[in-house]
Amino acid sequence: MIEVDSISKTYARSNNSAITALKTVTLSIGTGEFVAVRGASGSGKSTLLNILGCLDRPTSGHYRLNGEDVAHYSDKQLSRIRNAKIGFIFQSFNLLPRTTALENVEIPMVYRDGHVDHNRAVLALERVGLKARAEHFATELSGGEQQRVAVARALINDPAFILADEPTGNLDQNAGREVMQLLEDLHQEGRTILLVTHDDGIAAYARREIMLRDGAVVSDWKLPIQAFEPAVGDHL
Amino acid sequence: MMLGIVVGIASLAVLSSIGEATKRETMQRFKNMIGTFDTIMIRPGGGRSRGMPTLVNVPPTLRFEDAKALATELPEIKSVAEMQSAFDIDIKYRDKSASPGVFGVSSNWLALRSDEVADGSFFTEEQNTSLSRVAVIGTDVRSALFSDEDPIGNTIRIADVPFQVIGLLKSRGAGPAGGSLDNVVLIPVNTASRRLFNRDYLTMLIAQLKNPDESNQATSKVTALLRERHHIQPAALDDFAITNPAATMARVAQASSTLSKILTGVAIMALLIGGIVIMSLMSIAVSERRKEIGMRRSVGAARADIVTQFLLEAALVAGTGGIIGVAIGWGGMELAARTQKLPPILVWQPFASAIVLSLTIGMAFGIYPAWKASRIDPIQALRS
Repeated sequence: MIEVDSISKTYARSNNSAITALKTVTLSIGTGEFVAVRGASGSGKSTLLNILGCLDRPTSGHYRLNGEDVAHYSDKQLSRIRNAKIGFIFQSFNLLPRTTALENVEIPMVYRDGHVDHNRAVLALERVGLKARAEHFATELSGGEQQRVAVARALINDPAFILADEPTGNLDQNAGREVMQLLEDLHQEGRTILLVTHDDGIAAYARREIMLRDGAVVSDWKLPIQAFEPAVGDHL
Repeated sequence: MMLGIVVGIASLAVLSSIGEATKRETMQRFKNMIGTFDTIMIRPGGGRSRGMPTLVNVPPTLRFEDAKALATELPEIKSVAEMQSAFDIDIKYRDKSASPGVFGVSSNWLALRSDEVADGSFFTEEQNTSLSRVAVIGTDVRSALFSDEDPIGNTIRIADVPFQVIGLLKSRGAGPAGGSLDNVVLIPVNTASRRLFNRDYLTMLIAQLKNPDESNQATSKVTALLRERHHIQPAALDDFAITNPAATMARVAQASSTLSKILTGVAIMALLIGGIVIMSLMSIAVSERRKEIGMRRSVGAARADIVTQFLLEAALVAGTGGIIGVAIGWGGMELAARTQKLPPILVWQPFASAIVLSLTIGMAFGIYPAWKASRIDPIQALRS
């Protein structure tokens, strides 16, 4: 359960003026929802993503994640929440290049308690269909395989909340379809998915769409449950 | 990338090690020559006399009576050793010959010079007054004349006068100029004066002070007494010269520590440059790895974790540079010791502190790039 109550974000500039990136946004995302966030660049999308992903704090307002008000948590507390409760998937995969797929998947465990469980990492790779590629370096994998490794990395600490930022932006149709199918599976498992995208076809996987403009929510509509099942891949 | 640190650490370790080793060696050689630090030395003639004393070039200004006067009239002086010496005398034993320094010395010599007899015995005051022809020889003379034979009890000829060897001195090692201090023959000073050199003036007086901390006051008292005894007019120069070893030693120590400070300063400059190089290279690494930083932050790294990671990397780079530098430095020292025939004194402390210093420099100059890394906006970094 994600509840954002009139949060705003203002950045101070060197000449004493300030930029308001986000003005009083209020929204609530239920557990297990699959939400797309859309908006042009400069719409406050990435600021909202930073705050929802616990990478940044709002200037004012409240952010309750599963009932915990994390808006004023310290950097260390926020880091722990990111590590345990949020899985990130990025447009450019962001795997460490001279590192094997398995080691990439294990990174979040290092920041959890330092104990690296190889078996869990192998299971996570198996789940995204890449068990056979575990010992390959990231650079030896195709784009689609790299993004699936990134999904395995996002899942390793079993987070309830998946934040996917343009996850198919760098992929061809087939690879994009596979990744979206994985996200769909995660949604079916009851995880909350927040998807940031420009692509209508990709946004169509979501059951709800939030549109931002100039730091404010301009539309927020939900599909009636089960009213629309996207034919997987039709829009890619 | 680590070259600055490598060069800095190598030069720092080598220079400070050389500086320290040189200082220790210089001090040791002074100690070898002087023996004890509670003495002052008085030589005849004003100013510097050139060359080693021979039978003809010693000014006849310092007398046995001066020695007695110093010992009896000045309360600051505990005892006085008299010395006559010559370096141009042949010594023979059977078919072998040598020309060591021949020293006629008083029987209190051992105590004032902190010499020791390794074998046999030193001569007594009775042997001195009775003009006994006895000799105590240094280790170099022993090896030149006796090879395997026991020298004690044998008779050597000093300028064709027979002397019985009664003792062997313990080796003193090298003097400040590097020459051996063991190429000597000691005989009673009265014997030397009457039977060998045929002169009644001295090459040197050594005065032992009651209180070594007041060597400067004692020096001026000695000067005053000797000027009075030698009837020197107030405007005239001294006809003797006083060396105060403690003061000389202090100046030497000062000079060598100034030298090692300068060398250390140069090396620290090199290290600072190395540190600045590390800082700029780490800054480049941070901006090249913005995505990695963003990814690590997103999977749960706190800012402190990022700072720690980059600090450790900077320390690793600098530390590796430091270890390579120390290895090169150590090798350089060994090479210098071999080619320059320097004594192989291994002063290891500068090497240990060099490694610690390089780690410190890596950390210190890594702080700013590491802090910058922790401030990177993760989403911006990940989207770029």
